[in-house]
Amino acid sequence: MILLESRNTVINDVLLDRFEKPSRMDIQFVDYDNVRFHLSTADSKTVILLSMGIQCWPDLIKYGAREHLQKEYAGLVLPPNETEPEYDVTLSIDLEKLPPTAEERSALVQKLALFKSTAMSAPFLAAFAEQAQLQSSYKEPAGAQQFELPPAESQGELKIIKYREEEAMFIQARHDRVTVIFSTVFKEETDRVYGRVFLQEFVDARRLQSLQSAPQVTYSNREPPLEIRHVPGLKNGEDWGYVTFVLFPRHFANPTQALSTIHRIQLFRDYLHYHIKCSKAYMHSRMRARVAEFLKVLNRAKPEVATAERKTASGRTFQRR
Amino acid sequence: MNRQPPLVIDNGTGYTKMGFAGNSEPSFVFPTVIATHQSSSSGPTTQSTGGRAPPPVAGKPGHLASKRGIEDLDFYIGDEAVANSKTYSLHYPIRHGQIENWDHMERFWEQCIFKYLRAEPEDHYVLLTEPPLNPPENRENTAEIMFESFNVQGLYIAVQAVLALAASWTSSKVNERTLTGVVIDSGDGVTHTIPVAEGYVIGSSIKAIPIAGRDITYFVQQFLRDRGESAAIPSEDQLKVAEKIKEDYTYVCQDIVKEFKKYDADPYRYFARFAGEHSVTGRKYDLDIGYERFLAPEIFFNPEIYSSDFLTPLPEVVDTVIQTSPIDVRRGLYKNIVLSGGSTMFKDFGKRLQRDVKAIVDGRIAGSEQRSGGLIKSSGVEVNVISHKRQRYAVWYGGSLMASTPEFYNVSHSRVDYEEYGPSLVRRFSVFGSAV
Repeated sequence: MILLESRNTVINDVLLDRFEKPSRMDIQFVDYDNVRFHLSTADSKTVILLSMGIQCWPDLIKYGAREHLQKEYAGLVLPPNETEPEYDVTLSIDLEKLPPTAEERSALVQKLALFKSTAMSAPFLAAFAEQAQLQSSYKEPAGAQQFELPPAESQGELKIIKYREEEAMFIQARHDRVTVIFSTVFKEETDRVYGRVFLQEFVDARRLQSLQSAPQVTYSNREPPLEIRHVPGLKNGEDWGYVTFVLFPRHFANPTQALSTIHRIQLFRDYLHYHIKCSKAYMHSRMRARVAEFLKVLNRAKPEVATAERKTASGRTFQRR
Repeated sequence: MNRQPPLVIDNGTGYTKMGFAGNSEPSFVFPTVIATHQSSSSGPTTQSTGGRAPPPVAGKPGHLASKRGIEDLDFYIGDEAVANSKTYSLHYPIRHGQIENWDHMERFWEQCIFKYLRAEPEDHYVLLTEPPLNPPENRENTAEIMFESFNVQGLYIAVQAVLALAASWTSSKVNERTLTGVVIDSGDGVTHTIPVAEGYVIGSSIKAIPIAGRDITYFVQQFLRDRGESAAIPSEDQLKVAEKIKEDYTYVCQDIVKEFKKYDADPYRYFARFAGEHSVTGRKYDLDIGYERFLAPEIFFNPEIYSSDFLTPLPEVVDTVIQTSPIDVRRGLYKNIVLSGGSTMFKDFGKRLQRDVKAIVDGRIAGSEQRSGGLIKSSGVEVNVISHKRQRYAVWYGGSLMASTPEFYNVSHSRVDYEEYGPSLVRRFSVFGSAV
């Protein structure tokens, strides 16, 4: 498994099962980045409530997450006053009003399993739309005028999503690209080393012939990149790193492509941490193999026990068996 | 900040049960199996088998310089592993309840956490389980992997039997929450009888019984074959059908002779019919289910009908286990006999066990009263077998219960402690629930 999946397996499994035979449930589970889910049947067996608590909800709502969810899950999103307490958004699924065919049902489950991704994709979609708009208004012919253009005009609002306690995601649209910047922090010394190597490799990988069309990646350690240097409260230190992805319009040309880009990039942090852990596991297995080798050598090096004949006081010998 | 729920992972020999604390059922149950690519692991292991057996390691991963690809990520676990068994080779990292291959186990956990639970381990506490008599080195290895590879916030390694006891608190029959009792843990491969006193396992008295779920299935299958019913079943489904019959139709009777008479007097009422369908051709077939309905689970109580080398009935084993335990906990052990695992789910299993154990105990008391010449009168010993709704995943459920209490964070080993003391930290065994 190289890439993490965007859909939540628990939602997927439980709903597929419950769509077949409704029964009571009360399940709490999580997803990456401090997202909490609660699947429950409150009043009757046939009405399933799916609630999500997501740390960056205040940020997301600024960038139209609720509207986006309402569009995606038409008729399922409960209004804010009916949302389950301690959670940010609630969907209500009535099992008696399910689509009749099996394909439509599984499509619905698929869509519901992407609940978190969908909520998180709102700011990206907003940025993509902004980019399109900026691009259309940006009509200057190439030439001298370009130099006179103040850069402030051609860039959209900087969207900040604080998706974890200390880490944040910055999205900014420009007339020809959308820049996504992640701030990353490593709590562990070892992780930081792995992380840096890994990210450097990430930057270098793009030089390969086959990866020419991939988004451009840059990585800066300690210092935040210029695009976000004006943002207050940014930390710079040894443990901090900033990863910048530059998305060009070809990466979100059509809706399906845009969605897959969004899903990938959302999971970037988890992907990074997953691979750091995998690398560590790989290192550990090498270490174990090496220790086993060394043990073999040590065992070979044992001096042979001299088997001198031993005699008892009376002069008889006995043999060890 | 609200705390993320702890992850509860119960890795058994056969199945891994995992989920989040506070739920009543594990979110995932799948076989503890990992499918790795043939080329990367099977080659080197074969050459190292010569001579004395080395510590089990997966194939030598080669030099770092030769590593270009991502072969170490190319594996599946659980049901997916079984589905891919044609092109990958299957490995079972756990044998007899204990982890044998740490390389595979580490990677197994990798996918458990990231692919299935979808949790960032750095944000969570983790509760793992271990079999009784797990060597402390294994605990250390586990802690190393959890803290060093996964950077978990905290770890608690609980003994399965203790968790099963905790799970029994849900039963309405239990009115005091105690961690003293005998756990009868019967899974697919083996049945264990484990006495626990105040949260500590009495290791010297543990008894294993080589009769468990798989044997019952074979026994049912044997019945079908003897009667000629199995001719109708497609050969590849034989075991599956027998398993289905075992799960859906069998029960424990209180008196075999009476039960036989009942069946003979009115066969139409008691014999059940099983309707199956050929999975490929769709051909339908019917089976009669006869005496195996009550004889199958009977092999626990009269093992001589199934095996010729193990002949001690379960109630007798339970009694021996308690009798070999320290005398001052015996009363508590008799009072709290707890069932756990899928093969204890038969209807009336608890009732029968309680009756048989009671009969043995009462017989012994009567005998000693008689020998004393009527001078000593016993006040009697209370025997209680507790079965409850969460029996099938009792260990996991107990873990979920424990991990959802605030006390869990105090007894588990935190990351700070680990950095201070190192892996030997987990040798110290802090019992849970001693305060409750």
